[in-house]
Amino acid sequence: MLELGFMQRALVAVTVIAAVAPLVGAFVVQRRQSLIGDGMGHMAFAGVGLALLTGVEPVLGALALTVVAALALARMSGRQGGDLPLALLFYGGIAAGFLLTARAGGGQTAVLGLLFGSPFNLSWRQVGVVVVLAGLVVLVVAAVYRQLVAMAFDEPSARVAGIPTSGLSLALTVLVALVVVAGMSTVGLLLISALLVVPVAAAAQLAGSYRATLAIASATGAVSALVGLSASYYADLAPGAAVVVTAIGLYALAGLAAGVRGRLAVRP
Amino acid sequence: MSSPVLELDGVTAGYGRAPVLVDLSLRLAAGELTAVVGPNGAGKTTLVRLALGLLRPQRGTVRLFGTDVTRFRDWSRVGYVPQRAETSSTLPMSVDEVVRSGLAGQLRGLRRLTSHHRERVEHVLDVMDLQAVRRQRVTTLSGGQQQRALIARALVTSPGLLFLDEPTTGIDASAKVALREALEHLVGVEGISVVYISHDPEGAAGLAARTLEVRDGVVREVRPSALSGL
Repeated sequence: MLELGFMQRALVAVTVIAAVAPLVGAFVVQRRQSLIGDGMGHMAFAGVGLALLTGVEPVLGALALTVVAALALARMSGRQGGDLPLALLFYGGIAAGFLLTARAGGGQTAVLGLLFGSPFNLSWRQVGVVVVLAGLVVLVVAAVYRQLVAMAFDEPSARVAGIPTSGLSLALTVLVALVVVAGMSTVGLLLISALLVVPVAAAAQLAGSYRATLAIASATGAVSALVGLSASYYADLAPGAAVVVTAIGLYALAGLAAGVRGRLAVRP
Repeated sequence: MSSPVLELDGVTAGYGRAPVLVDLSLRLAAGELTAVVGPNGAGKTTLVRLALGLLRPQRGTVRLFGTDVTRFRDWSRVGYVPQRAETSSTLPMSVDEVVRSGLAGQLRGLRRLTSHHRERVEHVLDVMDLQAVRRQRVTTLSGGQQQRALIARALVTSPGLLFLDEPTTGIDASAKVALREALEHLVGVEGISVVYISHDPEGAAGLAARTLEVRDGVVREVRPSALSGL
């Protein structure tokens, strides 16, 4: 398996993005915005449709529209609370995406590849784009880690402490957009948001601190990628779906382990 | 009176057209505990939001340490402990992490904690009696311990002025005693000015140098014994 070029490229790209997505997802989950990745994914779909129609590189189209969506979401959320702004992005994105892709002559296979990923078709150049985007995300998270933790735990106090919470919220939404675009060609737009959230949910059951949650979630994402892609190769499964189902399996295992640990702790 | 840490001059403020506080003027001195009491919805939280610059007055001025709050930048001098219900942690956070998160306003970018920061973290964990539980998830602690963790977080920047919003809500009698002892230390030994907001007039009895009652948009100074029916 490892001697095959398409497998090498898939393993590098999917493992990198699956390890990095939870680093952003942890802050999204803490802020109770677990579905934001889905909304961004739908907007990225519209961005790809627009790119196909105008002859621009699909990644650039997706990046442009998700960043614009991130800015719009931050602005709309400031004016009206709740999940209505996200729902508008969600439905607007999927409708515009399908409309534009169909108009551009994108076939059903191309659309399915975008939505559910096609990591075995990646070129090394596309792998490079994923690695660069993931690296950028890691750098930004490292630079504002303390401020993100403070804001995620208690936003009013963070504001009083002089942390620019509005700008930081916006930066977090842009980070989600970057992860979504990086994940577009690997596990697909519909499943990348799962990698933002599921490894974090698994880690939260075992970790005793925020830092440990991030470390365990990142490792869970990477293991999901390696196991899911291997299963996909040997059992001829859809790769993106296999990665996410593996992550869900690890979440269930973590729950089991936490339950056993809890029982042992109360036993005299 | 020594130089005030907080001054409000002719402040009218609220949300929308109807003001919550009307033509309010007050000065809080350094090194004192001031209790702000009143029934729920009377405007206590509005007062705090004004003092912290989270709400702009419709009229009048607010000054922190002599500087207009709109131009005030030295937020490490101000600590804020919100009601516990306003803080939450879906994900695990250790007590240590909660306390250190108080330094986030000072540590921008990849700057690391200095020895001074580390000493300060140790000090506030000692003062708030949290050393034994510092590695535990904050959500596994009792209500009183959680409250002390939030106060420790607010103290880690060595503030001169500390706001406590309903600090005794949901904590038991022994935790109230521990909180009281900690506040005595903060005011008496460390010289921190404390604004203690509570619907319970008994909470800061004996500790407060002054007690202000907020009722129907008006703030007046009272003796704790004169408070009733809150």
